[in-house]
Amino acid sequence: MAAISVHRFASCITCHSWSPDRSMVAFCPNSNEVHIYRLSEDKWERAYVLQKHDQIVSGIDWSARSNRIVTVSHDRNSYVWNMEGSEWVPTLVILRLNRAALCVQWSPQENKFAVGSGAKTVCICYYEPENNWWVSKLIRKRHNSSVTSVAWHPNNILLATTSTDGKCRVFSTFIKGVDTRDSEAGASVDAKFGEQILQLDLSHSWAFGVKWSPRGNTLAYVGHNSMIYFVDGVGPSPLAQNVLLRGLPLRDVLFLSERMAVGVGFDCNPMVFAADDSGIWNFIRFLGERKTSSSSGSKYGSQFSEAFGKFYGQSRQGTSNDGGENSRHLGSVHENCITCIVSLGELGSSSTRRFSTSGVDGNIVIWDLENSEDLLEFL
Amino acid sequence: MSGKEGFVEADNAEAIITRIEHKSRKIEALLKQSKPVEALKTALEGSPPNTRDERCKSANWIAVHRAIMAIRDLDGLFASLDPEYYDILMKYLYRGLSTGDRPTCDQCLRIHERLTERAGLGCIVRCLADTINTV
Repeated sequence: MAAISVHRFASCITCHSWSPDRSMVAFCPNSNEVHIYRLSEDKWERAYVLQKHDQIVSGIDWSARSNRIVTVSHDRNSYVWNMEGSEWVPTLVILRLNRAALCVQWSPQENKFAVGSGAKTVCICYYEPENNWWVSKLIRKRHNSSVTSVAWHPNNILLATTSTDGKCRVFSTFIKGVDTRDSEAGASVDAKFGEQILQLDLSHSWAFGVKWSPRGNTLAYVGHNSMIYFVDGVGPSPLAQNVLLRGLPLRDVLFLSERMAVGVGFDCNPMVFAADDSGIWNFIRFLGERKTSSSSGSKYGSQFSEAFGKFYGQSRQGTSNDGGENSRHLGSVHENCITCIVSLGELGSSSTRRFSTSGVDGNIVIWDLENSEDLLEFL
Repeated sequence: MSGKEGFVEADNAEAIITRIEHKSRKIEALLKQSKPVEALKTALEGSPPNTRDERCKSANWIAVHRAIMAIRDLDGLFASLDPEYYDILMKYLYRGLSTGDRPTCDQCLRIHERLTERAGLGCIVRCLADTINTV
């Protein structure tokens, strides 16, 4: 079994993030608080509760090197939490938003973080030591709808975003005084702040969950129309592929290596995608085992099955309309939509076999591909 | 939209209508030779989802409807229908269901059940989520 640890922390988890040494996990139990649990002697104990936000915390990111936590919330504010003594001390970051903040991520060098929001803008925040203050710089008038996800390219300059206008965009976030021009990334770094490098118009419905591959060669994002998109060669001539899903849409995606990615979403079971030798991406298999239920309605293996039973019940005469009560129990590790996937790999490594997922069922599941021999060739 | 672009669109629509008329004759011929699956494939090929011209969409729907109603053997249909047709067929099945016509709905539901078994829920999601390329 690829799932090595399952723990139910809350009735619902909006997002989670791990401490640099993976001994602690921070998550939001669908409230205005952030809970931090520590694993001691095989038991999870609540170590800290971060209380500062007024509304649901929609994004948490724990920086790997500097041990800082950034949180964003529907209350339109962001806090950077620093460990001082034995307490987490918050610093307010004024994002200058008039709608909820939806997602956050530290840049690879951890000198900036990006916030996506419902105000059709992306905030790039950086620290100004003179004023002891985090400054928020906005990318405005580029998105036609809410920004659902942000992802940093390893070069610390390029930022990919997905939006509910169906598009995936790549921006330059070069900030004078924070970034230096001498990085090896090439021409794309010459663009000034907020310049759009690329706009991908592949999906006709909401786009969620964008990620770069470890070396930044490939970009992947998911659409709410049961499609996942892989884009190679981000630049003047991108090469896009789309993979049709058999099941329900995905919500988030994570690269395990340059050639393998995992998608999570409404099917409650991580899906593995991999590129073959010619670079063509395909669905490989589900990662979790799904027990087959005897109920006839649940052959579709999701919450839809009950509704489906009713749908077809009307087309056939004499079929009873009760769709079965056990449709809530799916037999998979997650019992509801998975909304968040986080890598547990070594910092700066080009592949990982461990990652964690959280979702609407309140479980945090740690997965390891150690026993999945068929997948290790893609790492 | 400027007047010129509108004219081009109308001109384009005439061309599409002519193509659909040609297609309809081919479908009739295939149905006479009792090749309903070939007829359905022909009907689905070159469907005009990109155009906003409702006449084109209606004309093509009439052709597809003719082919859908002629299907009797569902096993035979799915044995020879390639997966690339699944998404577009699902869109037309929902158009059929939206007519409210009893025989059409019965037939569309029958095919819908089999198509969902084959193509999965993703096919339905793609059909419902796509508000640009409608049929």
